Amino acid sequence: MAFPLLSLIVLVPAAGAAVVMFLRSDDLVRWAALTVTLLDLALAIVMLAGFDTGTSGMQFVERRPWVPALGITFALGVDGISALFVFLTALLGWISVLASWIAIDRKVKQFTISLLAMQALMLGVFSALDLFLFYVCWEAMLIPMYLIIGVWGGDGRVYAAFKFFLYTLAGSLLFLVGIIVLYFEGGRTFDILALMALDLPFEVQSWLFFAFLVAFAVKVPMVPFHTWLPDAHVQAPTAGSIILAGVLLKMGAYGFLRFSLPMLPEASVYYSTLMMALSALAIVYGGLLALAQDDLKKLVAYSSISHMGFVTLGIFALNPLGLQGSILQMFNHGVTTGALFLFVGLIYERTHTRSIADYGGLMKVAPVYTGFLALFVLSSMALPGTNAFVGELLVLSGGFAANLALGAIAVLGALLGAAYLLGMYRRVALGPANVGARFKVRDVNGREMAAILPLAVFVLWVGLYPKPFLAIIDSSAMHLLQQLHDKGSGP
Amino acid sequence: MTAAALLPSILASLPEITVVAGACILLIVGQLVPKGQEAIIVWASVAVVLFAALATFTLSGGPPAYAGMFVADPFSVFFKSLFYLAVVLTFLLSRNYADIEGIGGSEYYVLLLLALSGMMIMASAIDLLSIYVGLELMVLCTYVLTGFLRREQRSNEAALKYVILGAVSTGIFLYGVSLVYGLTGTTQLDRMAAAVTGDPLDPGLLLAVVFIVAGLVFKIGAVPFHMWVPDVYEGAPTTITAFMSVGPKAASFAVILRVFLNPLVAGSNVWIILAVIAVVTMALGSFVALVQDNFKRLLAYSSIAHAGFAIFGIVAGGADGIASVMLYLLIYTFMNLGIFGAVIMMRNGNFSGEVIEEYAGFAKMHPGLALLMLLYLFSLAGIPPTAGFFAKFYVLVALVERGFVLLAVIAVLLSAVAAYFYIRIVMVMFMREPAREFEPALTPLVGAALAVTAAGTVGIGLFPAWFLRLAQQSAFGG
Repeated sequence: MAFPLLSLIVLVPAAGAAVVMFLRSDDLVRWAALTVTLLDLALAIVMLAGFDTGTSGMQFVERRPWVPALGITFALGVDGISALFVFLTALLGWISVLASWIAIDRKVKQFTISLLAMQALMLGVFSALDLFLFYVCWEAMLIPMYLIIGVWGGDGRVYAAFKFFLYTLAGSLLFLVGIIVLYFEGGRTFDILALMALDLPFEVQSWLFFAFLVAFAVKVPMVPFHTWLPDAHVQAPTAGSIILAGVLLKMGAYGFLRFSLPMLPEASVYYSTLMMALSALAIVYGGLLALAQDDLKKLVAYSSISHMGFVTLGIFALNPLGLQGSILQMFNHGVTTGALFLFVGLIYERTHTRSIADYGGLMKVAPVYTGFLALFVLSSMALPGTNAFVGELLVLSGGFAANLALGAIAVLGALLGAAYLLGMYRRVALGPANVGARFKVRDVNGREMAAILPLAVFVLWVGLYPKPFLAIIDSSAMHLLQQLHDKGSGP
Repeated sequence: MTAAALLPSILASLPEITVVAGACILLIVGQLVPKGQEAIIVWASVAVVLFAALATFTLSGGPPAYAGMFVADPFSVFFKSLFYLAVVLTFLLSRNYADIEGIGGSEYYVLLLLALSGMMIMASAIDLLSIYVGLELMVLCTYVLTGFLRREQRSNEAALKYVILGAVSTGIFLYGVSLVYGLTGTTQLDRMAAAVTGDPLDPGLLLAVVFIVAGLVFKIGAVPFHMWVPDVYEGAPTTITAFMSVGPKAASFAVILRVFLNPLVAGSNVWIILAVIAVVTMALGSFVALVQDNFKRLLAYSSIAHAGFAIFGIVAGGADGIASVMLYLLIYTFMNLGIFGAVIMMRNGNFSGEVIEEYAGFAKMHPGLALLMLLYLFSLAGIPPTAGFFAKFYVLVALVERGFVLLAVIAVLLSAVAAYFYIRIVMVMFMREPAREFEPALTPLVGAALAVTAAGTVGIGLFPAWFLRLAQQSAFGG
């Protein structure tokens, strides 16, 4: 067996969490976490560097028996769909550690353990090739995330943590039954690749599609399963929000790509219009809600619902442009929204208010901060030259090709995005310097810069030269569509 | 029966004989132990159990003994090992708690040993009468143990309630047995099926089965015979509650598995009754637990809900169904004794540890212990990667294998309800500010018990393969 790179990527944060358990000083804990996440990021870069864009198959595959009696294996592997997310998770893991450097000042050790455990599990989700392993990681994430929101969150944290926990749990349990049904349909195997090769009767596919849909729709979240998200986001500490928006939301969409489309192709084709309609609804509804927010974090949270709507729209357009666009857009959203939450967190550390009405004229006191904020705001509204433009353009082209009316509605959502984002920026950064009068605001320091810069680099890199990213996605996305259209040509 | 024919029987039941003899000796010797030296009794009791375990592992196998009333097959070995584990952990947890409550006399340990012998007989019994003997031996001891806090009204009330309700249920069970005997002319499980030639849905037979079901279901606290559980669990000394929630319950499940997977019962569509019982039991346990403020009461309802989940495994039936129930019970033993161990540990000074609100801010004062409790609670809730998840997962696999997908859906949705009250305790411990200082009584023995249960809860969760194989190999039938 080759060098177990993926196992290492997954297990390094877990081992880090175990080590942190025995450290005594808070500073030591922080530096240890930084080292671990940096090491993990380095490993993820090694993985991307060795990634072969020419094949659609799984790479860096590892298999070890786990529970042989039930056909469960510890199998890891990445393809073009998951590789970028492994990298994104590692990147945001490092940034979350930096973002909580001073924001988390009590129970630092427990927080760091939760954060690192979270990272290991998220990486496990994206690289699992065994459905059981996938589910274990997917579900186990509830524990650290529940604690991150509930212990280190804002005033309404307990309610938010409960809501997050129960929503996600209830959603995933049906998924669990679906997995077991699939296990027997596939002849007692949890091997994801073997299950992809199945050709199930349409009725079974339909049931499974909806069982999976609930789990994934809660995670994405799609309207009407989104109500946990604003609460969780607003109450979570900055690092929690970054992880939630940056990685957790992607898991739902990743679930559609990894399971619904290849394993349930007929149902996916059959219900694609419904899914696109729900996506368009999420785009517009999320946008409208964001427009009405006064709380910075809530605004970004609702914008996430809207942006994830683009992602699911692209997936269920079921054409090359839509699919590529949505995978790229998931990466982009992780970078951009992660950055926006980071920025909200940074300013909140200084002023302890998130109300937009309290701000104004921030540019005069914190020019570097507002400068970078402008970049990410523009990226979030998909200005040409930024990452989201590439992604949204592809998604919209795919969406129009699949369904003209829904594509048009989605464009409306893009317009709304410009309205709430620019409106927010104007009220926060421009105008008379009333924020400087009320709070003593210092500009970003070196540590914060270290968290911001890599995200800014990716915003511009993907915006100006998306080719390497699309190359990673390309062959796997094409293969997925091939699978889909071979088997899913209608019931 | 000649002496030569008796010898194999004695050998097969040597573990039971060891425990009973050990208990009798301890009863006498215990009176001579000076006050303050009760630790000797604890260690002597542990030694008795270890001898019995040794006998169990070396003497298992062989044909049915005592003219077909008793067998030492792999199935019974699995359950006996589980009982040994539960009893030894109870001994470890009891030492300090019994001192605090002033119930640390030798009778306490002797009664536990006698209850153990009853449970062992139940696991090995293959005749309705030997089942009855084991059952009665076990419950009589637990009646007394429940009322062991002589000066507490709660404890007395619980014991009385338990005796009366228990006697009624045993009567119902016996009536069912007599009906079976009248219809088939035998009480041996194997011969019963052979004796019936006519329709398995014969109303007389169905009635007999229903009576037997009712008697047994009472012992595991399933609806509609669950009413005693919360009161008894709350009133009994916490160590006894812990013991009852795993040991006698597992023994009753062992009997239920033997009786229900008998071809006679299996052929009579009794699974429909069981499916209804399972759903209602789980629903009641989960929903009522939501509003409990007393930790022990909450765990009582939680144990009702878990019994419901385990019954789903019996409904599934088949080799996987049986193995799933067995694995469930084993895992439940670890995690439930773990959480009870934590509650027992809280009993210190004037602190009862029974009110959930008292745990506010526990994580701040004792992060390590809070982490352990978090582990048990998430395991009870069935969240991976803990063992509790794998237990539920395997039951669901067994259910879906038999095509009961709808039941699986109901089971998971109800377990989502149940998750709420477990994570509420986590919330109180981790997200509230401490109201008052307190020091848990973490003696080395309690620490050892917690370490074993934690190792089981994490270990089976991460590496279930070995335990799964053990359960599958011990499951009889196929």
